[in-house]
Amino acid sequence: MSELEERLLDLLEKRTFDGLTPAEERELSELNATDDVSLDLTAAAISLAQLEKVEPMPVHLRSRIESAADEHFTQKVSQSGSVRTVRESNTGWWNWFGWALAGAACIALAANIYLTRVNPPLAAGPGPTPTPAPVQITPEQQRAQLLASASDIAKANISAGKESYVPSGDIVWSDAKQAGYMRFHGLPANDPSKATYQLWIFDQTQDKATPIDGGTFDVDANGDVVVPINPRLHATEPEMFAVTMEKPGGVVVSKREKIAVLAKVETQKS
Amino acid sequence: MADSILKRIALGNRDAVSDCLDTYGGLVWSIARKMLRSQNDAEDAVQEIFIDIWKNAERFDENQSSETTFIAMIARRRIIDRIRKSNRRISADSFEDVLSEPESRGDRKIEISVEAGEAAEALRTLKPEQQQVLQLSIVQGLSHQEIADVTGMPLGTVKTHARRGILQAREMLGITGIGKEASI
Repeated sequence: MSELEERLLDLLEKRTFDGLTPAEERELSELNATDDVSLDLTAAAISLAQLEKVEPMPVHLRSRIESAADEHFTQKVSQSGSVRTVRESNTGWWNWFGWALAGAACIALAANIYLTRVNPPLAAGPGPTPTPAPVQITPEQQRAQLLASASDIAKANISAGKESYVPSGDIVWSDAKQAGYMRFHGLPANDPSKATYQLWIFDQTQDKATPIDGGTFDVDANGDVVVPINPRLHATEPEMFAVTMEKPGGVVVSKREKIAVLAKVETQKS
Repeated sequence: MADSILKRIALGNRDAVSDCLDTYGGLVWSIARKMLRSQNDAEDAVQEIFIDIWKNAERFDENQSSETTFIAMIARRRIIDRIRKSNRRISADSFEDVLSEPESRGDRKIEISVEAGEAAEALRTLKPEQQQVLQLSIVQGLSHQEIADVTGMPLGTVKTHARRGILQAREMLGITGIGKEASI
């Protein structure tokens, strides 16, 4: 392999594993090798091969992305200088929409007349099924859904850690669904730029010195929060949960200097 | 045959975005949650990823990969970029939790794309050290230096395992690119 190819491979490999600095991006571009995505695709396939479950995207996030899409596509059209086309297109669409609306109104009127004539208003039975509007499911509702759908719920009541405050609440967890929720009351608000709360799961598979990282979360001034648990590793029959205060972004291993919450599993459905 | 979702997006079809979110929203979200610890970070990352997907849709080449793998590639790039910019570093001196993920968990893996199944097969053919380095790097998002710290391997050895492992996996997946001869 030539020196140039060696350098190219270095850059492509670094892009795949660690990402490139702006200077390295420029270098790769100057070498006309930006389009070689073979290592990135390989890494992507490996990451897919290691994915254990696909969770649904939160509804509120989808709404955010849909809004961003509207903005993005509008800008794209404006930037491409095809505003006129779009206007024409929109005009056509509005014309079509107007006719469609008029048609729909006629059909609705006819249907209404028919239903009113055939059935008494209160005995009309179910009408056409309305298209459900997207509903934002809160973590509280997600928690309720988990409790309703999982048959292996482990539950742990919150007890105080080693700090001065005394929070309350509970943690529920399903091994089968690899999902759970923490519900807290009375946890002090944290400043996310300085510190974050981080959950640790003590389960059957891990050494007690190295519990599973259950993800980070923040608490606002309200102090009441329901947080989904997202373990980095597969958790099996958790025995205890702990919440520590860590630096922003969380840590791989906690020094356990600030333990905010402890929760020992008390019940586990079989 | 109907155009792929990415082709429709590349043509400026706004409706294809909803199809894209229906089809790949959960996948991208799951990748982000796996690699980023904070839910807020993951949400921001996923939004950025989908914008990247729209911007790069025209680059998708169905002869080179499936849509799923292409989208996972864009997701990984964006997440790695965020991790790099956040200067996230391992701060403690014990790493057993990172290393304790069982190596063989094939029974719990889900089949997402053809390439994912082939990649799982390819991983199994690699040397255990190569598998370990690739898993820590690609799945856990650790840098080569972090892997060296975690495993106790010299940094140069980590780099060698990473390079040989990924080149060998690429060859087994039939993806062409520079440096093929270095894979042996």
